[in-house]
Amino acid sequence: MIVFTLGLTWTLAVLLSLLDGRKHPVGGIALGGLAAGFAGLLVLGWEVFTNGPVTMVAGGWPPGVGITLRADALGVTFAVLSVGVILIALAYEAVSGIESRTFPALAMFMAAGLTGLFLTGDAFNFYVFFEIAMIAAYALTGYGERARQLRAAFIFAVVNLLGSVLFLIGVGALYHLTGTLDMRMIAERVAAAQPNAALLTAVAIFVAFSLKLGLFPFHYWLPAVYTGVRPSVAAMLSGALANIGSYGLLRFGGELLPQELEMGATALFVLGTTSIIYGALQAVSRRTMTEVLAYSAIGQVGYILIALGIGGPVGFAAAVVYAIINSLNKLLLFLAAGLRGWMVGAAFAVGAFSVAGVPPAAGFLGKLVLFQASLAVESVALVALIFIGGALSFVYSFQIYQRVFWKPQARAYKISPSTARLLVAGVAGLLLFAGAWPEPLLALGQRAAAAVLLGGAP
Amino acid sequence: MKTSVMTRVVARVLLVPALVVALAILIKGYADTGDGFNAGVIAALGMLLQYVAFGYEEAERMMPVRLVAVIAFGGLLLSLAVALLPLFWGLAIFTHVPGPGEEVIHLGTVELITPVVFDIGVFMLVFGFAVGAIDLLARAIHRRET
Repeated sequence: MIVFTLGLTWTLAVLLSLLDGRKHPVGGIALGGLAAGFAGLLVLGWEVFTNGPVTMVAGGWPPGVGITLRADALGVTFAVLSVGVILIALAYEAVSGIESRTFPALAMFMAAGLTGLFLTGDAFNFYVFFEIAMIAAYALTGYGERARQLRAAFIFAVVNLLGSVLFLIGVGALYHLTGTLDMRMIAERVAAAQPNAALLTAVAIFVAFSLKLGLFPFHYWLPAVYTGVRPSVAAMLSGALANIGSYGLLRFGGELLPQELEMGATALFVLGTTSIIYGALQAVSRRTMTEVLAYSAIGQVGYILIALGIGGPVGFAAAVVYAIINSLNKLLLFLAAGLRGWMVGAAFAVGAFSVAGVPPAAGFLGKLVLFQASLAVESVALVALIFIGGALSFVYSFQIYQRVFWKPQARAYKISPSTARLLVAGVAGLLLFAGAWPEPLLALGQRAAAAVLLGGAP
Repeated sequence: MKTSVMTRVVARVLLVPALVVALAILIKGYADTGDGFNAGVIAALGMLLQYVAFGYEEAERMMPVRLVAVIAFGGLLLSLAVALLPLFWGLAIFTHVPGPGEEVIHLGTVELITPVVFDIGVFMLVFGFAVGAIDLLARAIHRRET
């Protein structure tokens, strides 16, 4: 089942790149294929959650020689989430008319890359799939092909290539330290490695993923890119691609380098706090919707970092739950930003509620698990921080809601296609549903956190 | 830009040896030094030489560069097929046929095993992509000059 989804999306991506994506049937094929891949991932997820991790070694070689593909609770959760986000963004673009012949193929390549990345058990393979997803993202950023988008694509590519090089150095260093690229073996052997070298490696990997996530000192590229690209692409970047950062920090920090993560907890708190405050303040002061959302994205990842710094089952579970909710929030808000009409206003309000952490939207749940996590370490400062951050996000989400959806429109606007609006309303419904019935999501977070802590052992 | 007769003759003479070396590296790659990637790069360098020596228009007349996209994606599909087909027999991805320790059919010194087919796919992908990129750049330069 691992290979089914991976093989399907990949083969389709290759076939689609030979076809003209502007034609209606091609968009339909892409949607159908991606939906099948998504269904496959759901089946795989079911297997993983009932029978434990699924492993396959390429070529039937003994483990340790062959390259492993491994699906555990954490990987499958992120894979389902990311492919789901891409599926919705692709559907959104398909109903409003695809303008570029390569768009469906690129979205598919991104889905293939992300699926592979979340389901691999090999550090170098992780890098390879990561690059596949990133290269598709570079090209997607340029989608629309106006000067603004090309500028965004250029910034995005340059900054993220730097991140990739750093990450590759980190992987090389891990191999040097442990003599293996298999994630489980690295986790076993890294404790015996020289502590200084391991710490340096951890820092390189941390910086690489922070660049992808757009954390505070590494955020400078993010607003320019998110405001430049099209809504659907922005949704893919912040809803699916940014998951690489949170997943990578969980996998490499929580599972492979746990000691180094503990050592760096203070740094994580400081960076997370700065990210939250800086992102929120900048977002409050911005005028256009996409800019507010971009800065809000910087703030939101700060929370994930804080949860990671807290660590342990509670912290990691909080990080997973928050990452899921954040990704759905961003998908909803960015898609809604590109539409007009009454249903969209309501959907946007749900998204804004969710970002601010107001019940009944799912964002409340995210804030709640973070509260629990900070209470678990008995830190008053963290509780206060989450409260302040929440209040600030409340301010900026409603400022923007007022400005965009309440203001009487100066010129007549075109109401967007009803299918696109229904799609957005569907995502909003999902967020409300997750907020009203949170048990599955919480259980998911706990299972994923357990997978991190066990080092993937069943 | 006009190149000398010497350059053009050398470029033409070097094309076939470059392709032969690429082929040797490709089919011997699995057991010896080399693989599809290296072979693709060497063959593409041979093509690049033609572009430099003869210019964009002449090079395009000489060779079927229009097909490079098909070659590249065909190669990718071929490699994917080699990786995924064993699944239909219930084996792990990338399983060798014939497997380790089994009898291999020889064609001279060439061993007929599925990894070679995979490498051929990689070769097509690298070669197709590289020549396509060279062609695109050459065309852009050509357009600016005229």
